[in-house]
Amino acid sequence: MVENGVKGWISVNEGAREMLERVLGERPVMMLPPPLHRVPVRAGNVIEISGTSPSAKTLLLIQAAVNCVLPTEWEGVHYGGLGQLVLYIDLDCHFDVARLQQVLRYRIFKARGGRVVDWEQNNAKGGNVELPLIVCDDELLSLCMRRFFYVRCYQTSEFLATLKTLHCRVQREVEAHGARIQLLLIDNIGAFHWVDRATTISVLEVQNRKSFSLQGVWEALVHDLRKLLSVHPMLIVASKASVFGNTTNEAERPFQGRFSMDIADQRSRMKESHKHKFREYMPAIWQAFVTHRVILQNSDESVAASNGQHKQPIHLLEWLLPALNTVDKFIVGDAGAVLVP
Amino acid sequence: MPPLKSLGPGFPVIDSDFQSFCASLGILSVEDFLLHDLDALAAQADLRPSPERLKQGLALVFTIIESMHQPWRNGMEILEDVQKNKRILSTGCEGVDSLLKGGLHEGHVTELTGPSSSGKTQFCLMASAEVAYKHKGLVTYIDTGNSFSAKRIAHSIGQVDKKVLQTVMNRIICYSVYDIFTLLAVLHELEFRLKSQICERDGIARLLVIDSISSLITPILGSNGPQGRGLMTSTGWLLKKVADEYSTAVLVSNHTVSGNHGTTKPALGESWKVIPHTRLLLTQVGGSNCSISIIKHPSLENATSFSLLNHSQFCITYKV
Repeated sequence: MVENGVKGWISVNEGAREMLERVLGERPVMMLPPPLHRVPVRAGNVIEISGTSPSAKTLLLIQAAVNCVLPTEWEGVHYGGLGQLVLYIDLDCHFDVARLQQVLRYRIFKARGGRVVDWEQNNAKGGNVELPLIVCDDELLSLCMRRFFYVRCYQTSEFLATLKTLHCRVQREVEAHGARIQLLLIDNIGAFHWVDRATTISVLEVQNRKSFSLQGVWEALVHDLRKLLSVHPMLIVASKASVFGNTTNEAERPFQGRFSMDIADQRSRMKESHKHKFREYMPAIWQAFVTHRVILQNSDESVAASNGQHKQPIHLLEWLLPALNTVDKFIVGDAGAVLVP
Repeated sequence: MPPLKSLGPGFPVIDSDFQSFCASLGILSVEDFLLHDLDALAAQADLRPSPERLKQGLALVFTIIESMHQPWRNGMEILEDVQKNKRILSTGCEGVDSLLKGGLHEGHVTELTGPSSSGKTQFCLMASAEVAYKHKGLVTYIDTGNSFSAKRIAHSIGQVDKKVLQTVMNRIICYSVYDIFTLLAVLHELEFRLKSQICERDGIARLLVIDSISSLITPILGSNGPQGRGLMTSTGWLLKKVADEYSTAVLVSNHTVSGNHGTTKPALGESWKVIPHTRLLLTQVGGSNCSISIIKHPSLENATSFSLLNHSQFCITYKV
């Protein structure tokens, strides 16, 4: 028996070609919709989008979700989506389902050949015209909305409980829909930061009892996320709001994470072009878990909108990890984030 | 965090064996399970005598944990819930209503910031009058600075029959609150009452006004420690919970402080910014006029549209 065990252990499981096919099938490379299009990502990556409030972070998450739930093709029209399921964990509790529906309807409308510009101009002239409802619009819309799963957490213990029971939930939905979960969106991973920090470590009667301190909580969260990724490979995109303002009398020391040196280098470079006031406050264990980093800022410039009426402020997006030296500019319209050349 | 044995005789599988197994791993209450890996615990249980019984206990704990978080919903369910239960309440001020494309949203926390005597209390009173009279809804008014005035509300309603006025005024309940702990107590009491009252959606409009929340939070934000901001965050999340679970429109007022380069910015700092869904800024523009603009909104682009309001009457002339 032992011989069989050892022989079985050293015999070949699969060839290189089969392995590559399997890995690329399970974790295909995908492109997120603009303005996050610069870097190809795969299931198993963890992207962190930092920014102050408000800076269109939730909108980017919504756009990624819309791109994921739309089918690639439906009734002869090409939509260019992935046709997979999306999980949205709302820690900020400010998700607006009307906005999701609006972005989705714009994408459907545009894919069917509708011209968004004409619609906006009509609206600007004083009409309060609703997006033209094309026949079967509601069927596709409800199909896409049903692929979007949402939960909100009002405290850390609810977030922990959600992650613990996520595996069963995912299995249930995958069996019910026959599609995979491609995307896990977490809105504002730093939502409970202050509450967790303020949780004092009580005198423990039992030596090996784990405490609900910031470190303890984050160890459990990252552990559960890693377990989830190993069983159900998916792309995790998390937004992170900054908690430190731009004041000089803040005496807090930022958490020293593994990537804080890189961030300090980036920071000195970016200071020349625009103000950079983000300090890393997440624990080291989360920083080590993140594989890609994006930063969003509001610039002082603005550009005239397509309907010529309002001036719209420009948002800046920069990739910190992998460090690209380009800054993408975009404006926020009714259809979502639109790149500005 | 109550100890495991308080689960009591209702769960016979949580017996003293199970409790001692958990205690050996440092788990004394159900919440402690949240920090452990349940599969690793099951593996530990295999090393003990009678592992099946221990695993039954772990399965029971798993179902308890499943009930500890909010239920998952899909996009269509949320959309139907919003369309059926969450209305937009007009505020009685045309300028603000047109700016917000309807008014205050039930389920959202709206913040109104402005320097002192810019009309924040007047707006709060007007909105209360509007909800109580036009929408026949219930208003909970939390007053932190003794600025609640029943006379001004009656004036906003206008000339009506005495009995009608009485009914309308009975719909507004005012609490005088002077510190954050009393506020949390009032909010918890309100949540408890709403939970026991609402079996099904009853369609009553609800408004919760806190004038002003900054006077309660600013005293605790003073130190560099995380306790003050932790309390502020907990309060904010409680407001959001009350807003969403019980279809209440929440209106809070905030004051301004000086920012960089001589500008004014809303008080309460960076961590507060994520709490309201919608943020409005009132600025004086000479004389008795003030302008109101959007700083943050879930779907409208900010700071490009504003309304001009006449301070004393707080309505009419608006310009986009």
